[in-house]
Amino acid sequence: MLPAAGEPAAGDSWGMLACLCTVLWHLPAVPALNRTGDPGPGPSIQKTYDLTRYLEHQLRSLAGTYLNYLGPPFNEPDFNPPRLGAETLPRATVDLEVWRSLNDRLRLTQNYEAYSHLLCYLRGLNRQAATAELRRSLAHFCTSLQGLLGSIAGVMAALGYPLPQPLPGTEPTWTPGPAHSDFLQKMDDFWLLKELQTWLWRSAKDFNRLKKKMQPPAAAVTLHLEAHGF
Amino acid sequence: MALFAVFQTTFLLALLSLRTYESEVLSEPLPLTPESLKVSVNSTCQCLHLQWTVHSLAYHQELKMVFQIQISRFKTSNVIWVENYSTTVKRNQVLHWSWESELPLECAAHFIRMRSMVDDARIPKPGFWSNWSSWEEADAQNMLGHDPLFVFPKDKLVEEGSNVTICYVSRIHQDNISCYLEGVQIYGEQLDRSVSAFELKNVSFIREKGTNVFCKVDQGGVLGGIVLFVSKVLEEPKDFSCETQDLKTLTCTWDPGSDTGLTKQPSQSYTLFESFSGKKTLCKHRNWCDWQVAQDSQETFNFTLLAENYLRKRSVSILFNLTQRVHPMTPYNLLPKNVGATKATMTWKVHSIGNNSTLLCQLELLAEGKVIQQSNVSIKVNGEYLLSELEPDTEYVARVRCAYTNHFWKWSELISQKFNTAEAAPSEAPDVWRNLKLVSGHPTVSLFWKPLSKVHANGKILFYNVIVENLDKPSRFEVLSIPAPASSTELTLDQCSYQIHVTAHNSVGPSPASVIVVSGDPGNEEVEKGRVNGTEDGFSVSWKPQSGDATGYVVEWCDGPQDLPCVLQWKNLGPNTTSTVIRSGAFRPGVRYNFRIYGISTRRMAHLLEKKAGYLEELAPSDNPQVVMSKLTSRSFTLSWKDYSTESQPGFIQGYHVYLKPKAGEQCHPAFEKTVLPEDSVCCKYTIDNPEQKTFVVENLQPESVYEFIVTPYTSVGEGPLDAFTKVTTLDEYSHTLIHIILPMIFCILIVMIICYLKSQWLKEKCYPDSPNPYKSSVLSLIKSKENPHLTIMYVNDCVPDAIEVINKPEGSKIQFLGTRKSPTETEFTKPAYLYLLPTEKNYSGPGPCICFENFTYNQAASDFASCGHFPVTPQAPRHQLGPLTSPENLLKALEQNYMNSLGEIPAGEANLNYVSQLASPTSGDKDSLPTNPPEPALCSEYKMQTAIPLGLASAPPSENSSLSSTTLLGQGEHCR
Repeated sequence: MLPAAGEPAAGDSWGMLACLCTVLWHLPAVPALNRTGDPGPGPSIQKTYDLTRYLEHQLRSLAGTYLNYLGPPFNEPDFNPPRLGAETLPRATVDLEVWRSLNDRLRLTQNYEAYSHLLCYLRGLNRQAATAELRRSLAHFCTSLQGLLGSIAGVMAALGYPLPQPLPGTEPTWTPGPAHSDFLQKMDDFWLLKELQTWLWRSAKDFNRLKKKMQPPAAAVTLHLEAHGF
Repeated sequence: MALFAVFQTTFLLALLSLRTYESEVLSEPLPLTPESLKVSVNSTCQCLHLQWTVHSLAYHQELKMVFQIQISRFKTSNVIWVENYSTTVKRNQVLHWSWESELPLECAAHFIRMRSMVDDARIPKPGFWSNWSSWEEADAQNMLGHDPLFVFPKDKLVEEGSNVTICYVSRIHQDNISCYLEGVQIYGEQLDRSVSAFELKNVSFIREKGTNVFCKVDQGGVLGGIVLFVSKVLEEPKDFSCETQDLKTLTCTWDPGSDTGLTKQPSQSYTLFESFSGKKTLCKHRNWCDWQVAQDSQETFNFTLLAENYLRKRSVSILFNLTQRVHPMTPYNLLPKNVGATKATMTWKVHSIGNNSTLLCQLELLAEGKVIQQSNVSIKVNGEYLLSELEPDTEYVARVRCAYTNHFWKWSELISQKFNTAEAAPSEAPDVWRNLKLVSGHPTVSLFWKPLSKVHANGKILFYNVIVENLDKPSRFEVLSIPAPASSTELTLDQCSYQIHVTAHNSVGPSPASVIVVSGDPGNEEVEKGRVNGTEDGFSVSWKPQSGDATGYVVEWCDGPQDLPCVLQWKNLGPNTTSTVIRSGAFRPGVRYNFRIYGISTRRMAHLLEKKAGYLEELAPSDNPQVVMSKLTSRSFTLSWKDYSTESQPGFIQGYHVYLKPKAGEQCHPAFEKTVLPEDSVCCKYTIDNPEQKTFVVENLQPESVYEFIVTPYTSVGEGPLDAFTKVTTLDEYSHTLIHIILPMIFCILIVMIICYLKSQWLKEKCYPDSPNPYKSSVLSLIKSKENPHLTIMYVNDCVPDAIEVINKPEGSKIQFLGTRKSPTETEFTKPAYLYLLPTEKNYSGPGPCICFENFTYNQAASDFASCGHFPVTPQAPRHQLGPLTSPENLLKALEQNYMNSLGEIPAGEANLNYVSQLASPTSGDKDSLPTNPPEPALCSEYKMQTAIPLGLASAPPSENSSLSSTTLLGQGEHCR
């Protein structure tokens, strides 16, 4: 299994989905988010945050299934291989000071770029999967990740930031070359899932920070109570 | 001579030229060393590929040669493989040879050299080896990158069960490298300082994504691995066969076995090859393939099915004639046509096969899931068949399948169709029986009939018609229509004879009529009664044949026990039958069933012949009779159980056992039999073998003795429970004598008492009649006439009340003097309250009429002391002042006392006596003058509560505190003025 990203929440995915749906259902009832006129970026940030948490939860289940599919040692809890062939994957880990020094636009841009790349790799993973069940799970996750990408784009638009344009020739491609052995390919898959998990954890932190920054404290408290009241 | 010389010269020249050729081509040691040896490495198959040429060959001749190839590993001296490779060689031909290494080639440098030898039959002399070529090195390690650790072979595909050698090459030269197969550490052999090899034997399939093998430097963060793809062994296709439905397309099917698919290797592919036409097709499906038959009417086919994956090929072949593999398509449009009650026509269609070919079709008819008819029909396109002998109103299933007539190969799939035949009139008359009885004096016949079986009903029975024909008045008919599913009706008749017709009707028509004749006479004639034995099969009933015109017999019985409403059952039997077995699922053991056998006359009238009763299985009685004991004497008693019904028992009662437990040590009477009860007690048993004898006299008993008895019936199976014995004690022998004496005595005493009573009434009337006319006493009248007429009678009207005494006496309060020795005033005796209506003694100067109500203590002692005195006892009054008996009032008081005594002897001090003295003595108002003053006429009427108190207490001197009470009780009581 992938090491836990420090989030203690547990429960099955349906429970989390139900929680998410309830939160989304009640969002219009939150006074601070239900202002007449321009609601500002608050609701879209909240939605993005919730989606991030949902994806985190979904990934736990997916990663467990996929790593079992790869077999040992990839599904062993303490497996921590060197990052041999996964150099092209966007790294989520960053120095804390550096992270703090980033402004909102840079953070959002990095998130957007990272998920764009990860989504592309993930689709390649889906094409390679041998079992129909796994392909279904991966396709479902890809759809959710596409939704997250859209949400981030929405937040950036609400805040007036332009979307990052991909440089020509830097499009991520899924080309497992002949020199790339199957073992290294499995390592890449492992790292892809691990980076995804770290990115989701980091994004949750980013959006939580942004949410607090954008919303008045009272509104934040109200939403907090709503979420925990379920 | 010259000719000989020329011939000789020519021969020599020819011989010389031949030798020259031989010496040039073969005979000399030829320089045929392999040249231009090149070695290449193929990592995919772990193969060393060698290519070389033999330049030294002359004249473009072909020669068979042997090449000996040596392969060394790590160093040239470490030869691991020597092989001779024979081939035919041409001049400048590039020769190829491959060698597959078990050890991955990347893990070790390999050195190869070879030499050759001519091995041609045209060379008579044995050959010899050429010189070795120089060593050629094949080192795949040079192609590796700069990673610290490599594991080989990369992504190898092997079959399940094969052996695989895995090796790693370490660039870091550390010893702490461990390798794992699917997470489990494996141990191998170190081949070199930096190379180790691991042999995996008999590898098995684990998953499609491959088996992971990896090595890592412990705590070094260096990791390398490979994925070993283990494929399942390709199976030979099973059950390969081909057939056609239309002679145009062949469909070949087979069982492919397990899939060998891996992510590294797709599933095995299947190719169909036909040898006569030389055509082949790649099958799109794993287990079937279509083959289009060419128009040139090829009839024989030889198919080979080839299954292959990356590792293996398997094939299977069949040879057949096309017309012998025809499997027709399923017929269609199977429909019933012209469906009647007993006939139906089935039509269907088939797909045509070729031109003018016929099909053999099999039509099956099923009823209730079973095939009842089977017919074969040859058709071309349209099939039709008439089904006959069908049952009316029955559901059938018709099904059809067809086969190719020219050569039977397989039946087609079945097509089924359900249909129902039409209804027909019921074919049999209902089975009717009757029961005659008198209801309110009218003969009533209950008609019963059994529902027709499905075979005979031929449809849904809608109603039953009952036609009642009066035989005595032939013109009278009565028709009743009774809707189904009723199975009985009741008719009230008169004394005439009736013929009853019963018919069942369905939508088509009526059944034949069932005729029965009844007369108004219920005919409770006495007939022979018998018993019938029950067996596991039922009751075997037999009867005497009726002489005369019996057209049949009917046995009638009730299915349920006697105490339940009768579910009348009957069985019709032929005229020659005299026995039958009655079976019913309702029969139960231990229940009496009564059978009545009737003979049916030619007039269809039934006459009761016999009655039989029987049990399917007799049981022991479950209850004992309620026994009444009577006529108990000192030596006998009588037992009676008249109410016991022998009819409703679980078996035929054969008699009774009377058990008598004698007193200890007593012997059984000779009529009794000594027996031991289950609880080991000894008992005397008397057997009554007549079930109708329901009384028994137990005699010869001991007086004043306790006996226990029980009466239990018995059947052929056993007797009733011996659980509740009844105890009886015989009488004393002399008690009846005593009764003869005591009864007359009691009678005499009663006579005396009655006389005494009447005498006392007379005496009372004479002496002191009851109020309100006490003065009418004859005795008083006598005294009055002689002395003072007002001596004893007080006139109420003359009394003037001076005080009303209100007595507050709580319920249940008692004077508890005895034992406490306290004066009455010290007790809880309620003090009376007085309302003085007239002046008291202090302001009252003379006598006057009064009424006073007060408690009065009747002094028993006083009466004892002066036997007829009734004197208020006051503390102030000395005993000598009590009135003498000689005075007239004292005489009256004596009479009163007598009266009191006549009511009962009440001991002094035992109880309070509360009554009203109606003969209080008239007194003066002054207590001091009470004893001395003569009574004044009609002055005072006193109603006093008199209480008998003990003598001692009555005479005890009161204390100061008690003066009020005692004075009030006694002294004040005298203040009637």
